[in-house]
Amino acid sequence: MNLPNQLQWIFDSTAFIGSELILLSGLIILLISGLILKKETTLIFHGLTFLTISASVIVVIIDWPENPIRLFNGMIRYDDFSSYLKILIDLGGLLTILLTRNKIQKKKPEYFLLLTAITLGAHWLVMSMNFVMVLLSLEMISLSSYVLVGFGFDKKGAEGSLKYFIFGSVATAVMIFGMSLLYGMSGTLDFSTNKFVSALLEQKSPLVLIGGLMTLSGFLFKIVAAPLHLWAADVYESAPTPVVAFLSVVPKLAGFGVLIKFTLAINLFGQSTYPWQAIIGTLSILSLTIGNFSALWQNNPKRMMAYSSIAQSGFLLIGLTSLSISGVHAILFYMTIYLIMNFLTFLVIQQFELDCTSPLIPSLAGLGRKFPFQSIAIGIGLISLVGFPITAGFTAKFFLFSSLWEAFSQSGKPILIVLFVFGVTNMVVSLYYYLKMPYYLFLKEPPSEKTFLMNSPRWENLLSAFLVVLLLAFFFQPDLLMGWINRINFVL
Amino acid sequence: MQHLLSYLIFLPIIVGLLALLIPAVYKSVFRIIALGVSFLQLLVLLLIIQSYSPIGSSFQLIEKASWITLDLGAWGVFKAEYFVGLDGLSFIMVLLSVVILFIAVLSSWNTTQNTKGYFILLLILNGAVLGSFSAKDLLLFYLFFEFMLLPMYFLIGIWGGPRREYASIKFFLYTLLGSILILIVIIGLYSSVKEPGPSVQVVHTFNMEYMKDSNNYVSGSVLNYSEPWIIGVWSARLWAFLFLFIGFAIKLPMVPLHTWLPDAHVEAPTAISVILAALLLKIGGYGLARLAYPVFPDGAVYFSWLIGLMGLISIIYGALNALASKDLKRLIAYSSVSHMGFVLLGLASMTVEGISGAIYQMFSHGILSAMLFLLAGVIYDRTHNRLIENYSGLSSVMKSYTVFIIIAFFASMGLPGFSGFIAEVMILFGAFKSHSVNMLLPEWMAITATLGLILGASYYLWTIQRMFFGPLSVKVPGDLRDLDYREYAMLVPLALVAVLFGIFPQPLLDIINPFANELADTIGRLVKVH
Repeated sequence: MNLPNQLQWIFDSTAFIGSELILLSGLIILLISGLILKKETTLIFHGLTFLTISASVIVVIIDWPENPIRLFNGMIRYDDFSSYLKILIDLGGLLTILLTRNKIQKKKPEYFLLLTAITLGAHWLVMSMNFVMVLLSLEMISLSSYVLVGFGFDKKGAEGSLKYFIFGSVATAVMIFGMSLLYGMSGTLDFSTNKFVSALLEQKSPLVLIGGLMTLSGFLFKIVAAPLHLWAADVYESAPTPVVAFLSVVPKLAGFGVLIKFTLAINLFGQSTYPWQAIIGTLSILSLTIGNFSALWQNNPKRMMAYSSIAQSGFLLIGLTSLSISGVHAILFYMTIYLIMNFLTFLVIQQFELDCTSPLIPSLAGLGRKFPFQSIAIGIGLISLVGFPITAGFTAKFFLFSSLWEAFSQSGKPILIVLFVFGVTNMVVSLYYYLKMPYYLFLKEPPSEKTFLMNSPRWENLLSAFLVVLLLAFFFQPDLLMGWINRINFVL
Repeated sequence: MQHLLSYLIFLPIIVGLLALLIPAVYKSVFRIIALGVSFLQLLVLLLIIQSYSPIGSSFQLIEKASWITLDLGAWGVFKAEYFVGLDGLSFIMVLLSVVILFIAVLSSWNTTQNTKGYFILLLILNGAVLGSFSAKDLLLFYLFFEFMLLPMYFLIGIWGGPRREYASIKFFLYTLLGSILILIVIIGLYSSVKEPGPSVQVVHTFNMEYMKDSNNYVSGSVLNYSEPWIIGVWSARLWAFLFLFIGFAIKLPMVPLHTWLPDAHVEAPTAISVILAALLLKIGGYGLARLAYPVFPDGAVYFSWLIGLMGLISIIYGALNALASKDLKRLIAYSSVSHMGFVLLGLASMTVEGISGAIYQMFSHGILSAMLFLLAGVIYDRTHNRLIENYSGLSSVMKSYTVFIIIAFFASMGLPGFSGFIAEVMILFGAFKSHSVNMLLPEWMAITATLGLILGASYYLWTIQRMFFGPLSVKVPGDLRDLDYREYAMLVPLALVAVLFGIFPQPLLDIINPFANELADTIGRLVKVH
């Protein structure tokens, strides 16, 4: 293709990236206004970010793609799969902004700047079809999150931030090396083309496996899956709560967006000689086991949620293991519910943390009767994370396991049924730690007659009520959501 | 009149949710609301009894409405319905539930701690229990089945005894493990079963009736009848039966999966013990008879020897444990394990007598265990101590109490003239006959099971002797007053029912028999084929 045509393609492409342009302009405005305006005018940054991301989500919905279109010389693709993820990412961003009420963070325009940057990076990542684009957008997310983690401005935050940075850079380095191997063997950076698949099919070298695994590690780092989960607990514990909520959802969404595509590509549409399905299945088992069993011992709610996040990635990987379109739909459904229940949980954790007590779970003893509303809300969020009816968490797990069963009944591979039984029984393990907070809230007596006050603004309770209603509604009427997801035509 | 079952299920749930709006300071309002709901349910039950005819094994009072219909493209349609109805088995269980739940409200009348939470949870539990006994759609059944756990967890954990926290989490984890095993089979079943009838797309249904018919299985699916998949040593269908069996056996509970039960019972408040023993254990037996046996008769036949043996072990082991128990409530809890072992033995025999007897036993044990736990609650109420060794010669101060204890103990040990006798004799007949009818259970099982009756008599008689006869000596402080009106109101009806259905079992058997016949027929056909 000659240069004028390529340039023309780039010009034409700009028409389809409205939401990204909005985010980018918001980013620039935030940057400039942060320099000019007084730091005390917090509401401006708050509102501006909120407006930017809201505008972005509206544009995504208005510009709902009919057919997938390649943009920017094939670097990214504009399709309904990525658009759906973009909506979730933006919602995650919006909820994070609503959660933010700590004064330190509010006064720093950089905080909002970084949030917007991660959102933008996630937008790019879910659309990427090219290794270079994947790398760029992944780094856009990573670099911003390293800084964001340290936004408590204390020693712990700095430690967490550094740990995150070191782990992250190693994971990225490994990923780049893997990509270079795959590029060397296939001769293309675009992993969705026939050229990539056919070239790798001819390769008999085990480097295909090694390159694939190395590339996977970068994505596994982003979705907090074992064995690249080691950073999670420390980072989650040290970062400010809204940031944790954000990091537990948005990079995971984006990471899965690209992981799904990459896994289907490296599996060479089922023709690969390497057992990619078994590899993903094993990773899923690993994440479930490590996440669930480590979470059992945690007394810090945020540390517990870190291990929960690892385990939830294990569940999401179950959907990927089935390597089918219904698996992808199940993942999308699960992601949506995960977004809701995770934010609900963190919203209430923050309320308890900022308003009442020390951050440890045992100090919540007996608060259930003083703050029944908050306690019931977090109870529903956690019960939904277990996958218990009558919350949508059950429906989400049901769809995931159904897709795995379907894959099993088509291929009959023993690893699938092992994963199935393993995953389902893991729900029992997870019940123990997810119940820990309701257990202290409702079952334990308060140790002393200390009086606590809830200083949370009322609308926070309204927000958690809204999230609870969503969790219940998507249980009783999953077609509200699944009907939409089912129309998403995922192709590589 | 059309939606009687829905009224029964949703009345408590809706009232419970509305009661959330009432401020907690009106402490005594909540028990009146709960009693009112239970009373209304009794009235609805009367209407149900009136419109239910015991002829035929088909469902009655059916209500069907679409709930979730999802078009999943090439794979087919996901279809779950709101589908409730009653047949013999469900009818008996619903009858039992409404009565027991009414008594449970009466028995918690004097609850003082956080009455709002208590009665609201009780109402929600009420709806979930009735829902799981009447649901005919598997997803709906599972929803109610699981949803019982949550109120139960809090009811034991907040209002229970000193070790309530341990007991409630143990209860929750054990029973969740059971329901997870059931969930595995549910996913397998619904992906293997399609709705009959001409349709372009495969409609994957949760309708339990369709799951019974071998023609409704998608050919080549994992759980299909004709060419079942082999996974490891067994076929997928046998695995599925085994999973269902273990899942429901935890609930039943069967030895060695019973260890949650004594803890939960000892720690739970009286009313919750009553519901736990009288209704929640029955869901285990109900699930076996409703789902595991009719849908996987092949598995039932294959494992019948094992199930019979496990039933036998439960009978003997439970009774021996009861004999060794020092706590009155623990004794009753272990006697439940022993009695539920009879249910397993009866089902395993797969004769009409055995199955009818098992269902009869579930009803009878529901009535009797409720009575026993209420009686244990009475003495705990007086002295806050349940250790048998602390009491002696109670018959001289608590005369009516002693009378009721003797009625309940004798009925529970299977004395002729009480409902327990009819049930256990029928089960023993069935188990004994099984060898000649379908060759499933050896005769020694039935013979050994009678040992359970002797052990039952031993622990009950010994307890009566220790606690009620001899010189009066009570080692714990307390006001040993006799039964009051409220306690009479709970105990008299239960005692009457136990006697009535011990002397005159026919009305219940008429209702049970169509179901038992159909189930025995299914199995009988299968045994002939082999």
